[in-house]
Amino acid sequence: MLVSIVSYGLALGAVYALIGITYNVMFAASRVFSFTAGMTGMLGGVLGALFIDRLGMPVIVGFVATLAAGAVLGIITEILTVRPVLKSLDQHLYVLSTLAFALMIQQLTAIEWSTEPQPFPRLLPIGPGLFDQQFWLPMVACAATIVGLEWLYRRTLIGRAFLAIAEDNYAARALGLPEQRLRIASYALAGVIGTLAGFTGAEMMLAYFGNGPLLNFYGFVPVALGGMGSNRGAVVGGLALGLFQQTANFLVGGIFASVAVFVVFIVVLLARPEGFAGAATARRV
Amino acid sequence: MKLSRRQALKGTAASAATLATGVFRPAIAQSEPIRIGYLPALTGPSSSTGIGINRGTELAVKEINAAGGIKGRQIELIVRDTQSDPTKAVNGATELTRRHKVQVMWGPLNSGEALAATPLIARDGVPQVHPCWVDALTDPKKYPLAFRNAPTNQQIGGAANHYVVHILKANKVAVVSDTTGYGTASLDAYVPMLKSMGATVVYQSSVEANNPDVKPELLRMQAAGAEAIMPWSVNAGFLSRLINTRAEMEWDVPIVGQTTLGSGQTKALLKKPEYWEKVYPNNFRNCSYDASGQLPPRTAEFVERIRKAGIEMSDTLLWWIALGYDGPRLIADAIREAGSTPEEIAGYWNKVKGWPGVYGTITWTPELHDGFQGSEVVMVQANSLKEGAFVLAPGYSG
Repeated sequence: MLVSIVSYGLALGAVYALIGITYNVMFAASRVFSFTAGMTGMLGGVLGALFIDRLGMPVIVGFVATLAAGAVLGIITEILTVRPVLKSLDQHLYVLSTLAFALMIQQLTAIEWSTEPQPFPRLLPIGPGLFDQQFWLPMVACAATIVGLEWLYRRTLIGRAFLAIAEDNYAARALGLPEQRLRIASYALAGVIGTLAGFTGAEMMLAYFGNGPLLNFYGFVPVALGGMGSNRGAVVGGLALGLFQQTANFLVGGIFASVAVFVVFIVVLLARPEGFAGAATARRV
Repeated sequence: MKLSRRQALKGTAASAATLATGVFRPAIAQSEPIRIGYLPALTGPSSSTGIGINRGTELAVKEINAAGGIKGRQIELIVRDTQSDPTKAVNGATELTRRHKVQVMWGPLNSGEALAATPLIARDGVPQVHPCWVDALTDPKKYPLAFRNAPTNQQIGGAANHYVVHILKANKVAVVSDTTGYGTASLDAYVPMLKSMGATVVYQSSVEANNPDVKPELLRMQAAGAEAIMPWSVNAGFLSRLINTRAEMEWDVPIVGQTTLGSGQTKALLKKPEYWEKVYPNNFRNCSYDASGQLPPRTAEFVERIRKAGIEMSDTLLWWIALGYDGPRLIADAIREAGSTPEEIAGYWNKVKGWPGVYGTITWTPELHDGFQGSEVVMVQANSLKEGAFVLAPGYSG
């Protein structure tokens, strides 16, 4: 039982954490909470199965093509659903525009791919058992992403430019930073991270159009728990969510496992609305 | 002679009145084709079923017309693809009943679309045959012209329960569903039915279909001493996870339930083909092989005709084709024997007894428009699919 809780819990948690980071990367660049995050995760599985299983591409080519498609989707999201509503952020029009675009992606996938879950190919000849790739691949992807982002943000000029526009985009523009191009790059990066989550988690979750809304929600929970904009918080929150969900699955089972997740989520938000790693927003009085 | 505008209008009005009162109608009716409105889902998520049924329907219409039609009148099948969308089914039904004035409707072919379209077809007073399983779709008081030539959900669940309790002799049963409306409704309907048959339901649960790990559910079932598992879901992902996990736990408990257990989508998600052993989905006696690999004589003869007609069977199911073949023949028999008005068609159907369809034997009465016989719903071996049909599950005679 413990082995199953830890293996599935950490693997699922890593996928949720990566979707949480996808939300964060888009949010940092635009202050927009884009509901396309879960859809990029869903597409990671669907496109991976399409490229490798149906089109017969080598695994590495299919992997790169999937991530590239994620980057393109991120750019389209920025152009179509974010840029037009940036001037009126306070009206929260992005909720409608990104949600509508997410639903379009989901419906298009259902029509063109399938409404039935499809198998995802085995990528490496390792497993089955505890060392099955379906468990460790998402964890490796999550670790690589968090290390890569830390390196990008702290050690590179472009990473610091990302942080600058996340901190204060007016000041960043005044300094001559190309805010629009940096925002597009952030959305492309978010698309890559989202599809990476879906690709590495697809053997466990299958290539299924219905994973989109699920990842949208369970990817949002670590962001809310860890604090908006905190990638480390999203990782801790995601892994905790995965472990808790799997424990509830074993202890109470059935529909009550999902209820238990919602209850804890609401209690944490009531006790600490800014999340565990987020800072309380200062209000000028 | 000069014709004034008033005279011309009077003449036109008189002609129109003559046509409207039907003075010439019998002559026209004798020669015009019989219009059957047909609402298959040929594209979209439900299209695999729709395409299979369509092959049988087209064959039946072709055969009837080639044999001279119905008393010399050809059948004109007016088709509207519902695209697996209830809204389009409603639009198609309205167009067929009002613009095309069809004499009778065949379909819609799935329950979601039929739930939306049947009230409209009934309101327009058009007789309808459909093959949809949702119990509420026939009601002789509410829809006196709507008839079903397929089993109800009660019959589907009843056959699975009968197999578990009376043939497998399993007394301790675990029933699990997904959290969809279909899943939870099935659980609510079939658990009391199982108990009334004398079985003990040792575990019941509704689970999120997307949950990637169903091992906790199976461990609880095993701990409760389940001798059979009955999953109610049409989600191939959920069903395949149950089958895979059962095999990985090296637990050889039988899994008995809905037709999706034996679908190609479920098969594609199994980690090993042998995991499909001891999995028994619903099917239909007339379209199943017996233990010696033979189809019933009526069905075997039908399969020969399908082959001669060059109809593809490898990518579909025999019962879908058979079901599609029976629909137009039920309509043709009613018009041939009774006439083509709604009252004549429904009057004939209300008295149909033991009608020998390829898919099922149909008996309708004025009080019961569910014509399929419960005894013809059976369980089959999921891993035995050959040319669109399965072998009967162990324990059935004949």
